[in-house]
Amino acid sequence: MARNVTNVSQTEEVSSTRRVIAASSVGTLIEWYDFYIFGTLAKIISEQFFPKDNPTAALLATLATFAAGFVIRPFGALFFGRLGDLIGRKYTFLVTLVIMGGSTFAIGLVPGYKTIGFFAPAIVFVLRLMQGLALGGEYGGAATYVAEHSPDGQRGFWTSFIQTTATLGLFLALGVILVVRQTLGVETFSDWGWRIPFILSSLLVGVSIFIRMRMSESPMFAKMKKEGKTSANPLAESFKQKDNLKMVLIALLGATAGQGVVWYTGQFYALSFLQNACNVEFVQSNVIISIALLIGTPFFIVFGALSDKIGRKYIMMTGMLIAVIAYRPIYTMMYNEADLKQKTEIVDKTTVEKKEAVKGTDNIITTVTKKTFVDGTTYKETKKETIPLDEAKKAQLAAAGKLKPETKKETTLPQDIYYKMIGLVLIQVIFVTMVYGPIAAFLVEIFPTRIRYTSMSLPYHIGNGVFGGLVPLISTRLVEATRPAPGLPPADPLAGLWYPILIASVSFVIGMLYISNKTNNMDVE
Amino acid sequence: MSAIKKLFGIVWSLMGIGIVPLAIMQAMKEIAAKPSEENWIFWSIVIVVLMPIIAFSLITFGVFALKGEYDVIE
Repeated sequence: MARNVTNVSQTEEVSSTRRVIAASSVGTLIEWYDFYIFGTLAKIISEQFFPKDNPTAALLATLATFAAGFVIRPFGALFFGRLGDLIGRKYTFLVTLVIMGGSTFAIGLVPGYKTIGFFAPAIVFVLRLMQGLALGGEYGGAATYVAEHSPDGQRGFWTSFIQTTATLGLFLALGVILVVRQTLGVETFSDWGWRIPFILSSLLVGVSIFIRMRMSESPMFAKMKKEGKTSANPLAESFKQKDNLKMVLIALLGATAGQGVVWYTGQFYALSFLQNACNVEFVQSNVIISIALLIGTPFFIVFGALSDKIGRKYIMMTGMLIAVIAYRPIYTMMYNEADLKQKTEIVDKTTVEKKEAVKGTDNIITTVTKKTFVDGTTYKETKKETIPLDEAKKAQLAAAGKLKPETKKETTLPQDIYYKMIGLVLIQVIFVTMVYGPIAAFLVEIFPTRIRYTSMSLPYHIGNGVFGGLVPLISTRLVEATRPAPGLPPADPLAGLWYPILIASVSFVIGMLYISNKTNNMDVE
Repeated sequence: MSAIKKLFGIVWSLMGIGIVPLAIMQAMKEIAAKPSEENWIFWSIVIVVLMPIIAFSLITFGVFALKGEYDVIE
């Protein structure tokens, strides 16, 4: 009889934990989706809201891309972390969801620069900052909430579902954009269709808010609040008290900084490298990343669960070490597989088409060159020259060196190389799952309940937002530094990898030396 | 192990201190060579955001390690 009662109670506990996980994960996934559609559609958004001929708008574009990632996210972590430790987890991460959903929906409705002028980039800039603020508060709340519902010895497993949301959010963003783009066609999508993924967010957020409204407060926080033991000043307690500050620093330098660069390299840099260094065609490159993400995602749960058995530290550190060692060989293979210089061209199949059309005051000359290679690779180069009909203006632009043609290079890989690329990206996603799968459990376990939301959110968002978020900017800069002259290809297209390799190496050494592997058995209270 | 942790504390502190003049000198050199908007934005981000975070966290972490604050985390 007693055994039956225990079994029923255990079943109810598991069922309740599952509900908590589902409700938290769906909301967090939608927040990541909202955040990534802006980044993925950055080029179109830039054309709609931030025209290049307006320097202030162009500056706002750069700030919108980067500021939301690394300045506002940590600020959101502090603001909402403090709230979460003062008033509770449930209401705080409900607020972040509303802010994120509202901002995303609003971006989809803002009229373009052509309609309302400078107000357009200014409004989008503010909305993007709101997105960053909300994201800064969301993750810590969701991870804390789930961890505080999870039984001892299973925290890595249960929190790993939250860890899948960032990757699934990116997958969802890529998937929705691809489907809408393919359905409407490239031109309609660039004109107004890009708004659909933003507007769609309101539907997803509405469902998620409904689910989250029905959830109860974290049992640990509720108990603490009832006993009057909550922190009066979580910020001061987290960062002014030496015992907590030293844990914040170890979390940042020994874990989240390295994890952040591995995460961004394996997902964003891989996509950017495929598109810019390998010139792989837009749809194919996105599908390569999407398939690798989809296959790799269950490994977040595998490594999260494994961390309950063997500890968080060694899984995260192994992921970082292998990434550091393997990045250059992996990217060398990716580059070589798509390098047209190493392929034999079927010259007979090469075609060149030239079209001229007058558009307004300009003569547009479009030259399309198509090449086919023995291994099945096809290459399409579209060169678009815009030449003013007015001779004086033409001479003026030529003197200023502004008559350069726009060139778009698109390589379509054959099936076997396409699968190899998926495999090479998948290996990187596995590194991501190793460093990221156990990290939520690791972070919640090193801080006490009264200041957990605040303390874990800041190192997480500095590690991911600042160290990770800067991967595209710094890596591009490192590659550009190897370019012998403008217009020539870079001498080392893999130079961009030195930034994540350096950060992950330092993080690995610090993590190995100073992080304990015993955290999996610590009592969360 | 404690001795190694403390010894590395000096390394982290020195790295944190060293990155400040290194980043500022490189920024000045590159901006002087090519004062483009792109260069200004890049180095502003590095100097205003990244460098202070790295310097503060490494120096403080190094001092804590040197003082043996992390010896108890076994």
